[in-house]
Parts: sequence; structure tokens; C-alpha cells
Amino acid sequence: MKVAFPYMGTTVIYKKLLELLGHDVIEPPEPTQRTIDLGVKYSPEFACFPLKVVLGSYIEAVEMGAETLITSGGHGPCRAGFYGETHKKILKNMGYDVDIIVFDDYKRDIVGTINKVLRVKNRKPWIVVWKAIKVVYAMAKALDRIEQRIEKMRAYEVNKGECTKAWETIKDLFDHVKNISDIEKAEMESNRLLDEIKLVDVPEKDRIRIGIVGEIYVVMEQSINLRIEETLGSLGAEVERSQYLSQWIDFNLKPGAAAKEHELSILKKGEKYIEEIIGGHAKQTVGHIVDYAERGFDGVVHLMPFACLPELVSQSIIPTISKEHNIPVITLSIDEQTGAANILTRLEAFMDLIRNIKRTKTA
Amino acid sequence: MKIGIPRALLYYYYHPLWKTFFEHLGCEVITSGKTTKDLIDKGIKASVPEICVPIKILNGHALELLESGVDYMFIPRMMSIRKGEFFCPKFMGLPDMVRYSLPGAKGKVLFPKISSLTDDISDEELYLDLAEALGVSHKQIKEALKEGRKVWKEFRDISKEGYTALEAINYVETGEKPEIETKDYIVTIGLMGYVYDIYDEFVSMGIVDRLREMGVRVLTFEMMDEDMLDRELDNMKKRLFWTFSNKLLAAGYRFLKDEIIDGIIHVTAFGCGPDSLIGKLMEIDSVEYGKPFMTIRVDEHTGENHLQTRIEAFIDMIYRKKVKALKEA
Repeated sequence: MKVAFPYMGTTVIYKKLLELLGHDVIEPPEPTQRTIDLGVKYSPEFACFPLKVVLGSYIEAVEMGAETLITSGGHGPCRAGFYGETHKKILKNMGYDVDIIVFDDYKRDIVGTINKVLRVKNRKPWIVVWKAIKVVYAMAKALDRIEQRIEKMRAYEVNKGECTKAWETIKDLFDHVKNISDIEKAEMESNRLLDEIKLVDVPEKDRIRIGIVGEIYVVMEQSINLRIEETLGSLGAEVERSQYLSQWIDFNLKPGAAAKEHELSILKKGEKYIEEIIGGHAKQTVGHIVDYAERGFDGVVHLMPFACLPELVSQSIIPTISKEHNIPVITLSIDEQTGAANILTRLEAFMDLIRNIKRTKTA
Repeated sequence: MKIGIPRALLYYYYHPLWKTFFEHLGCEVITSGKTTKDLIDKGIKASVPEICVPIKILNGHALELLESGVDYMFIPRMMSIRKGEFFCPKFMGLPDMVRYSLPGAKGKVLFPKISSLTDDISDEELYLDLAEALGVSHKQIKEALKEGRKVWKEFRDISKEGYTALEAINYVETGEKPEIETKDYIVTIGLMGYVYDIYDEFVSMGIVDRLREMGVRVLTFEMMDEDMLDRELDNMKKRLFWTFSNKLLAAGYRFLKDEIIDGIIHVTAFGCGPDSLIGKLMEIDSVEYGKPFMTIRVDEHTGENHLQTRIEAFIDMIYRKKVKALKEA
């Protein structure tokens, strides 16, 4: 069966998993203005932005011939958990004959989940499935390591854009891996590529580090957050995201307590401000801001889709956290109306502010 | 001790319970006044711009209560009133938002965590945390809740007889039985909307009264039996996560199927997340049933005339269609 998936972050990873299971994978194109326009046209006006982009991305995948869409569900209480059902209804209403397999929390519907797993498993022996999962997990880990390296390097590259170019090549390298040893080779090759990039030497005290927190989709998907990492990089800041795919896998899918340790420690740090998990990543957001402040970061960019329910709660609390932990935070809310020039100006001003703080501190 | 209860959000569903409860513990209950332009302006200043109107209104009421010098404000953390379902994230984080974003609110908020299996949230376990702040014993809490439960049940029973939440609250608190003319209505409208949108006169501008003045009978979700509503959603593969949204959607489906109902009006506040999905589902399904469906989206800028014109046009359309059908029959 021809399958597709929602576009988010480093998509080679999901593509690889489905390919290893013998599916005919249709990779939806990276979201463009057309994707957003399509999504906006057919989504409820006040739905959150990720729902619209993902819908647009599904429509493009279906146009390319996808018959089945595979996605993860959610257990609420934010709207993201209901995306699957809404998308199904809208696509059906548009007259597309497409099947959506939504992986929900297995506790809600055990038999249903097993059936879905069997469909995606595609009659491959379990050993193949196990191997595929291992390969994909190793790949996610490796790609995240490389991406984190790039996020730091980008601020200091001599020729602007070299890191981003290398990243494209690297993703392509990983697209061809088949097993663990291929991944190791690809990672070595990637690091070699990155070693060749010329960097300006900046003394430790002048380095600016910025953390990016917020709702997972707008944090991870660079095509809709106006390439925030590249923008901040070109303004001279090292960045670190609060979300990486491998961390998400560790917390949500990997069994065992050890894998969850990092996320739990972040949640603990957010406890003071938001006591309960209220859906989405609100509690993680406040936890990460505290964490970045403790680790000596110079500032935090908080991203959220316009009118995101849980992030509005964190946004309300952020001014207090910023004051109590003495760290500048800027909130950018993103939707189809967001203008690049507006965001760029605000980020430039934010960087100026941080540089000023640094100067007065050292002086 | 003065306890402030903001006249916002779930005031319109649980006030009889909470008021009775605190009064029985010997507290003086101060309920904030009706929503006014002034109050909402204060709320807007204290809130992040994108947040929905009901929360801005709550912030306004909370500020008013703080100014009036209450010892504590009662803003519970509403988590769940049905297994596997929750409240909107903003309700779950509400005490955090109020404590950390309103000046002077820290330390003045009582926020027991309400996590229950039914609409009846008078289980003593949920309120025991208040004992220390209020200086009362667990036994007193238990007894006060028993009284509260009685009044709340009475309130719900009256509601189900076809009275609005405001009329029902007024009845259980003052004993005045509301008057509704019993006459033959030609048009019956199913009104979908959260209690804090429909009954806040600033948000919906008294839509129920306006409709009644036009000679229209109005039905809302809280006039229906909970279990009946619940069954309405049985054929949904995945229910929504939000209990009140489920009630609204169930009422919506009931309205679609019920022949008595001539049309459906959905009142929603700007920026309401759950409603953005419910609205779409109803929009698609109402076409299948061939029933008129209209969405009215309100916010702090909505004009009265706009609302009046739209409902008049909607009712006129239904009225003509119906009279024509009656003549032909």
C-alpha cells in the first residue's frame, strides 16, 4: 500500500521506518505556501496552525497518490489529540478516498491498536520489525547529534549558509542507510563534512546561547517557523531546541524508566509554575525555560501556534518566570498570517538586547 | 472570612454548590458583580492578547474581587468530571495563570483539584485541602458539602424543566420561581454554547431573552438529561477530550435528530479552541440532516446590532419556511 505521513522535522526517519517495513512510501513535500493555503482553505478557521499545515500536507500527499496516511494520535486534553478524527472527516467531505491510521494511546483501545500495528507491520516477520525499529532509533539519535552540532556551528561559519547546505547533504546520506553499520559510516562522513566548514573563532565569554521552547510542531518544523534556527544562527546565536525526535521517542515510546529521566527532570523544574500536565507541552515549556536559565543561556525564544490552548497558559506565566530567573524570553505566535519581516525585526531587537545585557555584565 | 467567587466560567454551573458550601462553613461569600465594559477592560489589560474572551472576563472578575478585599478567591483547578475526559487546558492551568499573572493574586487563591467521575463534584475528598486555609474540620467540610449537593441537585432539576441556568440559580438562591409564559411556540431553537458564553450578558448580550421576545422557544444542553446526552455520542469513534464540549456536541446531534428543533444556533467566543473543532463537525453534519445551522462568534468588540440582525434574519427564515409548510399541509 502507498503510505504517507505528516511532515514534521527530519522526515527521513519516518520514511526509513516505513520503507524497512516494505511499504511504498510517498514522502510529502516540505510545506510551502501552497501547502499552507490548501490547509487553511479546508480547515476550520479557528483551528490551530499545525492542524492546517498537516491537512495541507495530507492533501498534497494524496494528490501524489498516497492511499493510507499514518500518524500518531494523542490523549488530549489539547486539540492535537483530535487531529486524526478531524482530518478524516474533512478529507472524506472533500471526496478523497484515503485511509488514516491513527496511533492513539494503546490503553484506550488495545485491540484496535494491535490491528493497526498489524496493518503497518505489513506481514513482515517480527524480527524484521524489531531490526527496523532499532535502525530507525539509531538513526534518530545520530541525526539529532549531528543537528545539535550544526545548531552550535551555524553562528560562527565564515561563509553563511554552508552548514545548512551540509545538513541537506547529510539528510540525503542518511536516506540511503540500511543497517546500523551504514548509520555509523554516515555519521562519520557527516562529521567529516562539518569539520571542513571554516569557523570564526569567538571567545567563550562572547558566545550567545539561545534556547527554543514551545509547541512541538512549530519548534521542530523549520519550514513553518520561518527557519528560526537559521535566522538566529545568522544573527550569531547558538541555539538548542527543547524538542528533538529522539527525545520524544525516549519519553513516549521507549520502555523503561531510565529513558524518561531527562523529560521528568524538566517537568520537575516546571512544577512550581504549572502543577499539572495540561496538555501539549506547556509544562515542558516552563520547565525548559527554568532549565535554560540554570544552564546559563542568554535568552529563550518561545514559539507557539496562534491561540494554542496550553501554550497560552505558559505565555501568561512566562513574564513571572523571566523575572524570577532573570532570563529574557520572547514569545512568537505563528500562523498563516505571520510575516517574515516582523519576526526578523523582533529577533534582531531581541539579539541587541541580549548583547547589551552581556556588555553591561562584563563591563 | 470573606471568600470571593468570580461570576465567570463555571459560576453558571456550580455556583449553588460552592456558595452553599462556603456559607455553611461560616464564610461570607462575595460573588463579583455582572460583567461590565469596565471590568472586561481590566481583564483584557491583565491577560495575554490571544486568549479567549471567557478567560479575559474571569481575570476581570478576579481583579474586582481582589480590589474588594476578599481573603481568598475560589478558583478551583477543574481537571475532569468524567473518566478519560478533561477540561480545556486553560481550565486546568487556570489557578497557575491567575496566581502568576494577576498582581496581588499570589497566596490569595484557593484551588482544590477537582477530578471527579460525574458532574456532581461534591465529593469531600476533593475539598479536604481547604480545611487548613479555612480553619475548619474535615467533618464540617463533609456536612457543608452535603448541603451544597442538595442545593446543586435542586438547581439541576429545575434546569431540566426548561429553565435557563440563570433562572435556576436565581430560584435556588432566592426562592423566586421564574415565570415563563406557556404558549404555543411556532419556532424552537437549539442553542449550543457554553454556560459562561450564553449566560454572561456581556458575551451573548442576552441572546436567550432576545430569542424569547421573538416568540421562540430555546433549548440548551443543560436543560437535557446527562445520561441521554452521553448516549448521543456512542457512535463516535473517538470522543472529544473536553466534557463540556462533548455535552455541547451531544446536544448538537440531539438537535439535529429531534424534529421539534427547527434550527441550531452555535454561540462561540473568539479564540475558543474546542469550539473550532465542534463547529466544523456540526457544519458538516447539519448539511446531511438539512437543518439550518448558524454560528455566532462573539468577542469583546461585538456590536449588539450585529447580533440582533443576524438572529432576526435566521428566525425569519425558519419562520417563513415553517408557516409555508404548515399551510401546504
